[in-house]
Amino acid sequence: MKKEMIEQIDGYGDIIREIDVSRKFGSAFKDEKGKVKDYISHLHPSRIQMRVLDIIDETGSTRTFRLVPEDAPLPPFIAGQYITVFVETGGIRTARPYSISSAPNQRGYYEITIRRVPEGLVSGFFLEKVKTGDVIQTSGPQGFFYYNPVIHEKKVICIAGGSGITPFMSMIREVVECGLDKEIRLIYGNRSVDDIIFHRELTRISEQFDNISYIPVLEIPPEDYSGKQGFITGDIIREVTGNTLDKTFFLCGPPAMYDFCLPELEKLSIPRKRLKKEMYGAPENIWEYPGWPEGLSQDETFSVIVNNGKPFKARAGEPLIKALEKNGVLIPSLCRSGECSMCRVKITAGKVFQPPGVPVRTSDKVFGYVHACVSFPVTDMNIHI
Amino acid sequence: METYDAVVIGAGNGGLTASATLARKGLNVLLLERHNIPGGAATSFCRGRFEFEVALHQLSGIGTNEKPGPLRMLLDKIGVMDKLEFVPMDDLYRVVVPGEVDITLKPDRNQIVKELQLLFPKEKEGIEKFFDLVWKVFSEVIGVFYFKDPEVSREKYPHFFQYVLKNLQEVFDQCFTDPVLKTIVSPYWTYMGLPPSSLAFVDMAAMLFVYTEFLPYHVKGGSQALSNALADTVLSNGGTIRFNCGVKKIIVENDKIKGVVTENGDEVKTRFVISNASKISTYIDLMEPEHVPQKISDELKQSTLGQSAFTLYLGLNCPPEKVGLNASTNFLIGDTDPDRIYERMQQREIGEEDGMLLTCYDLIDNSFSPKGCSQIALVTLKYGDCWLSVPPEEYAKEKFRVADSMLSAAEKIHPGIRDHIEEMEIATPLTHMRYLGHPKGSIYGFDSYLRNSMFFISNRSDIKGLYNTGGWYGSSGFQPTLESGVKAAKALIREFSAQQEGVK
Ligand SMILES: Cc1cc2nc3c(=O)[nH]c(=O)nc-3n(C[C@H](O)[C@H](O)[C@H](O)COP(=O)(O)OP(=O)(O)OC[C@H]3O[C@@H](n4cnc5c(N)ncnc54)[C@H](O)[C@@H]3O)c2cc1C
Ligand SMILES: Cc1cc2nc3c(=O)[nH]c(=O)nc-3n(C[C@H](O)[C@H](O)[C@H](O)COP(=O)(O)OP(=O)(O)OC[C@H]3O[C@@H](n4cnc5c(N)ncnc54)[C@H](O)[C@@H]3O)c2cc1C
Ligand code: FES
Repeated sequence: MKKEMIEQIDGYGDIIREIDVSRKFGSAFKDEKGKVKDYISHLHPSRIQMRVLDIIDETGSTRTFRLVPEDAPLPPFIAGQYITVFVETGGIRTARPYSISSAPNQRGYYEITIRRVPEGLVSGFFLEKVKTGDVIQTSGPQGFFYYNPVIHEKKVICIAGGSGITPFMSMIREVVECGLDKEIRLIYGNRSVDDIIFHRELTRISEQFDNISYIPVLEIPPEDYSGKQGFITGDIIREVTGNTLDKTFFLCGPPAMYDFCLPELEKLSIPRKRLKKEMYGAPENIWEYPGWPEGLSQDETFSVIVNNGKPFKARAGEPLIKALEKNGVLIPSLCRSGECSMCRVKITAGKVFQPPGVPVRTSDKVFGYVHACVSFPVTDMNIHI
Repeated sequence: METYDAVVIGAGNGGLTASATLARKGLNVLLLERHNIPGGAATSFCRGRFEFEVALHQLSGIGTNEKPGPLRMLLDKIGVMDKLEFVPMDDLYRVVVPGEVDITLKPDRNQIVKELQLLFPKEKEGIEKFFDLVWKVFSEVIGVFYFKDPEVSREKYPHFFQYVLKNLQEVFDQCFTDPVLKTIVSPYWTYMGLPPSSLAFVDMAAMLFVYTEFLPYHVKGGSQALSNALADTVLSNGGTIRFNCGVKKIIVENDKIKGVVTENGDEVKTRFVISNASKISTYIDLMEPEHVPQKISDELKQSTLGQSAFTLYLGLNCPPEKVGLNASTNFLIGDTDPDRIYERMQQREIGEEDGMLLTCYDLIDNSFSPKGCSQIALVTLKYGDCWLSVPPEEYAKEKFRVADSMLSAAEKIHPGIRDHIEEMEIATPLTHMRYLGHPKGSIYGFDSYLRNSMFFISNRSDIKGLYNTGGWYGSSGFQPTLESGVKAAKALIREFSAQQEGVK
């Protein structure tokens, strides 16, 4: 439309005057420069440089690393969230999530507590190589495993296995240090007494505070032990819980614990809305899952081509992301459990196996996208990243 | 150094249709996106067994096969129509004003008029007149702009010349007085952000006309399906998309585009850039001050930042009927004075006196949520400032507190929601800021005052090779932003071809 015609529209002159005034007093937004980045980095920095201030021995195979930021103040987090550490070890650049075990009211540092996993790349690196004073790179706090006051009951049953205690440690510390109006009963399963992380602190807190109870469960109890034994069964949970209706359940531990505990919880008819479970990595025995291709060995290898590059081999029983990392293909990752979708890649030819329940977007499935951290190669394939 | 025919900054609606159009024309295009997924606001995310739609409530401009709307034709041309499944909504919307009215309108002009006349017999003529004006004015707009009539005159387009620069309130005052009636016909003002006292009448006319004539739609798989389909078109036509790769600088020399620099520090050479980043980010963050054209600074000075939103995404472990929901688009309005509602968009509090939009797709798409479940998006507009002033350590607590009061307000009309919530996510203006990269989390770009409309702002850049697309440069919303990408790409292609010719 021509300008002369626009000028003839009723009310044109009034708006021109309005424009004159607004230009006189308006801002050209120069002070917005860098603001978006600033705000976001206060709450959600994508990377934090951390110095290891302290290393605390927890058990024979577990250590706590106290991390302080090198530059900006740490972003706040909600008890239960994790950070991802980015490391290079043995020539491999990779990442692992670790729940923050310190309380969110500790604004000066985060603590992560790492248990050595047999043959574990990153846990091994931390337990053997990392010294105080080292600088490591982490993500900002991530994850959705936290208490939501809008929908969760004030009485909480926490069920932990092994290193799965860490998010609960943060929650419990916050409740007692900040005097929150919440009740936590912690059921904590381990193999033996020596494996229990934070045993002394948990015992002390539960003795001191009425709203925290601590119920260790041991697979191999010592001689004079009078506590709960074996695995965390429905019976134990029922006994600790009493009335299940006014409580929300939080579950955190290795996949094997879920395989055992979830059916037990089902017996108690806990609806999903009162059951929150933290993811804890890709299944370690994917080949035992229903739907795994008949007769395919976990050690079978397949050829993978990324963006028409040079092919390399990937093992069926290992998540695709690890094969990519071993071959120097960097793809971003945070949760390493299928949840955050950071490691989304497009399979353009071939097939992967994914465990059931991985939250991949409906249309991503249609267009061939998978989360590489929980995808296992079961044919030769081409990938686009 | 890498070289491309064109670089597109941002994979929102506009960036995606722009890239798809360029790639289909055979240009070697690079699309750079900060986030790890295409779509910008047009996306979804998963929590537990639910997949939540972020932004799309009602898609406009699709129409039917027999009477295709402009967006259907556009998507068809880009070649994504057959990759998508669109579901029409049976209702235009439902409006609830507690104690006053609870009415669901069908997308049918005659039926709406009849029903309103029955409810407001005293305003019979005014109702007729209002809808008559809506249709007349917008039909003339179509003649002038879509069909680009070369001979526009007051004689030919009388309503256009009389009404196109009036605000909605002026037209209301000519038609009727009942505040409840006004509330029923204008909840769409929240799709633009300004209340009737400052919203352009033509903007309201556009929405009523387009949603009624071409029906409101939902896409199966949510707006992410649309974004993925567009991204797929870019890739299958030889385009390149890089995620987790923001642009930190646009290189300008002698008022010409020379390239861009990514967040990783990589420089990419190109003579053409289409920016889907906000107008502020494009000129203030990505460019050196000395390169910003005076014309753009002037345009910025007459603009003010529009609202962001506060949204609750709720996954319910029951069907929608269980909490009394029977319509997919519900405006819950606690005050028939929109100016008061608008004023409260400056504060964090949300209560019964506010207006909110409650959308539930499960009523028209039974594949949307897991069996026996449903999901609700509960949104209200909020200016970003009130959230930016929250200290970081208070942020999570404040989020939960406001969510709680919003939920309580919604429960006054739909009791029982809270007891059925299995998953919940909360989005604040900061969330929108984080995922879209827009100042103060603004979701609609600038406030859509008439002085910022296309009659007064060209958005055309004096920098050669730079084009813009998206809600910051013209109208926001799905249909307009998707259209703007194609428009930007076409303008680029014209210039690109002219230069190619010149070289030959
Ligand atoms: C959200 C989240 C929070 C976590 N928080 C903690 C935490 O607070 N403390 C902590 O110690 N760990 C935590 N983990 C686990 C941690 O991220 C790593 O998976 C773990 O440290 C093993 O990594 P790695 O590199 O040492 O082993 P890898 O080199 O990745 O694995 C080596 C071998 O060990 C097996 N394996 C992997 N994980 C386990 C396991 N957990 N138990 C037994 N075998 C395993 C693998 O299948 C493989 O065969 C968390 C995981 C998630 C997803
Ligand atoms: C809660 C909500 C509800 C809505 N409801 C509706 C509705 O019902 N109907 C409707 O029609 N519209 C609705 N809208 C509006 C609609 O979603 C938007 O108008 C539209 O999606 C905007 O598209 P855009 O092209 O402007 O890009 P945006 O979606 O704004 O995306 C911009 C993209 O650019 C990227 N980017 C920014 N800066 C950079 C950089 N420097 N480098 C690389 N990438 C960058 C961002 O990450 C983002 O992906 C809603 C929006 C929201 C948030
Ligand atoms: S890293 Fe989170 S989904 Fe793979």
